[in-house]
Amino acid sequence: MKKKPIPSFLIFWAVILVLALWPLVTAHPQWVCRVFTMAFLYATVAMAWNLTALSGLISLGHAAYFGLGAYGAALMDHYGSGNPAVTLTTAALAAGVYGAVCAAVFRNLRGATFALVSLAAVEIPKVIADNWESVTYGSLGFVGIRPLPLVHMGRVTVDFGGDLTAQYYALLVVLLAGTWVHFKAIHSRWGWALRSIREDEQAAGVLGVPVYPVRWSVMTLSALLTGLCGGLYAHLHGFVEPPVVFSTHLSAMPLVLSILGGRFRWFGPALGALVLYPLDQLVLHPVLPAGHAAVYGLVIVASVLFFPKGLGLRKK
Amino acid sequence: MWAQFLIGVLSLGFFYALTTLGFSLIFGVTHAFNLAHGELIVLSGYLAYGLMKAWGWAFWMTLPVCMLFLTVLLVMVHQVLKRVGEPFELNSLVITFGMALIAQNVMLFFFSADYRLIPTSGGAVFSPFRGAYVTETHLWTFALSAGATAAVFLMLHRTFLGKALRATIQEREAARLAGIHVKRMKGVAFAIGGILIGLAGPLFGRLAYLHPAGGLEATLIAVVITIFAGVGHIRSLLFGACVLAALESGAALVLGTNWRELVSALILIMLLLWKPHGLLMGRRSAPEL
Repeated sequence: MKKKPIPSFLIFWAVILVLALWPLVTAHPQWVCRVFTMAFLYATVAMAWNLTALSGLISLGHAAYFGLGAYGAALMDHYGSGNPAVTLTTAALAAGVYGAVCAAVFRNLRGATFALVSLAAVEIPKVIADNWESVTYGSLGFVGIRPLPLVHMGRVTVDFGGDLTAQYYALLVVLLAGTWVHFKAIHSRWGWALRSIREDEQAAGVLGVPVYPVRWSVMTLSALLTGLCGGLYAHLHGFVEPPVVFSTHLSAMPLVLSILGGRFRWFGPALGALVLYPLDQLVLHPVLPAGHAAVYGLVIVASVLFFPKGLGLRKK
Repeated sequence: MWAQFLIGVLSLGFFYALTTLGFSLIFGVTHAFNLAHGELIVLSGYLAYGLMKAWGWAFWMTLPVCMLFLTVLLVMVHQVLKRVGEPFELNSLVITFGMALIAQNVMLFFFSADYRLIPTSGGAVFSPFRGAYVTETHLWTFALSAGATAAVFLMLHRTFLGKALRATIQEREAARLAGIHVKRMKGVAFAIGGILIGLAGPLFGRLAYLHPAGGLEATLIAVVITIFAGVGHIRSLLFGACVLAALESGAALVLGTNWRELVSALILIMLLLWKPHGLLMGRRSAPEL
């Protein structure tokens, strides 16, 4: 009798369970906790990126949304209210509005043309953030963004700003929420609409799928989520500067993580992020302090060469 | 002041033409979008910088080494790209994006993230008008770029190899039917592209600061001019390069130096919205005709 293979989503739940429990059980160095916190953040960005990719468009410019989110939160924190509910909403809105405009303007572009345009679209917010010195402090960036606040839950006080373990659990919740959205983008009526658009736009239109609205909504949602992550990044790190939050590296990372984990499974991008990011930070970073990120480029090259299905770039 | 502006624009425009030439030739012959183009130029610039710094070479001595090294590198890139499946355009875009990331990190490893400039004498060589100065960098840029552009033009229009390359650019299937070895032409295009990138790198290091993330701008410029001029049209390429240089210098003059980067990105977006099928517009494959 053939042995039944373990369903691969069980691996995902096992990983999540282990990650949720180990800080409680064993003593742990804080920086490992920190690395996993960032892994959760980038996993969410990867899933947000994959929302666009699931509709058949490869974006090379999600750094634009991430950076706008980070700057939105930083500006709100500096000039307005420091309440994270307000700053994070601003972050998501800033990125979401830009994403909505991009989605509307680029609605007729596909394939390589869209990828090029998305790459160029990063430059606009980047150059503005870099040069509007009276507001954004130019290339110096913002320093001293307030960390996440203390939260009182009954008698227990949780310090999301200083306690890395608390941040770890907060980001784990964000990751799970992102995974839920990503799950819905694959296993729901809306997800099937996306799939039909990806496979054949004309046929989808004939079947009654509203092609433009569905694509616009998914791209806007993707930008919103990425912006939210950018805002969280600003609060977690406490500083933002244009070359960091608008870097090519941030555009490439979600692509790499999603391809590695498998783009067409609801837990794929998250699993890819939870494997590759800690590997990069915990194993490669100590060995190669400068240049360790080359591993992301290597993964892109290898996956296009050997697993073109993972990219899902089929000829129509 | 206007004479000075014109001198700057001409030298920058010819440099942009040189930057674009390699990209345009590779794209025209192989249909590969080389997003690592700018990173390779910066890499070549770093190589020249390293040679000058470590062994005290003169500027002109670094040029042959850079050209040779980049040719070898580009032939290796070609070996990788040969194995990429359909749809080739998007796949080559994504894979060279990965290569750009690798190149950035290699440069970060060897040269750190500091901004570096290839030292120049800086003084004016002669002044054709009152208040306008031509520096050594202007002369180097203008002479090398114009020389390389002219050489490529003559090669494409006066030699048999150039004829075969142009035939491959214009109609791949027909070229194959006429007995042109298209695969070999692709290798040739990458090799020539490597020579041109190798030449552009040291000049880039004189004109602008070298830093590992600085390649994207050069890539965008190459893509913009290629889309504007079409592939294989050297004269319109030169014209487009000068127009872009004038627009960028104008923006730098009016708004400030750093806003210049926005110009090529905005022009690229507008060009692609205007021509959504990008570069291969109007070029149908033989079975469709």
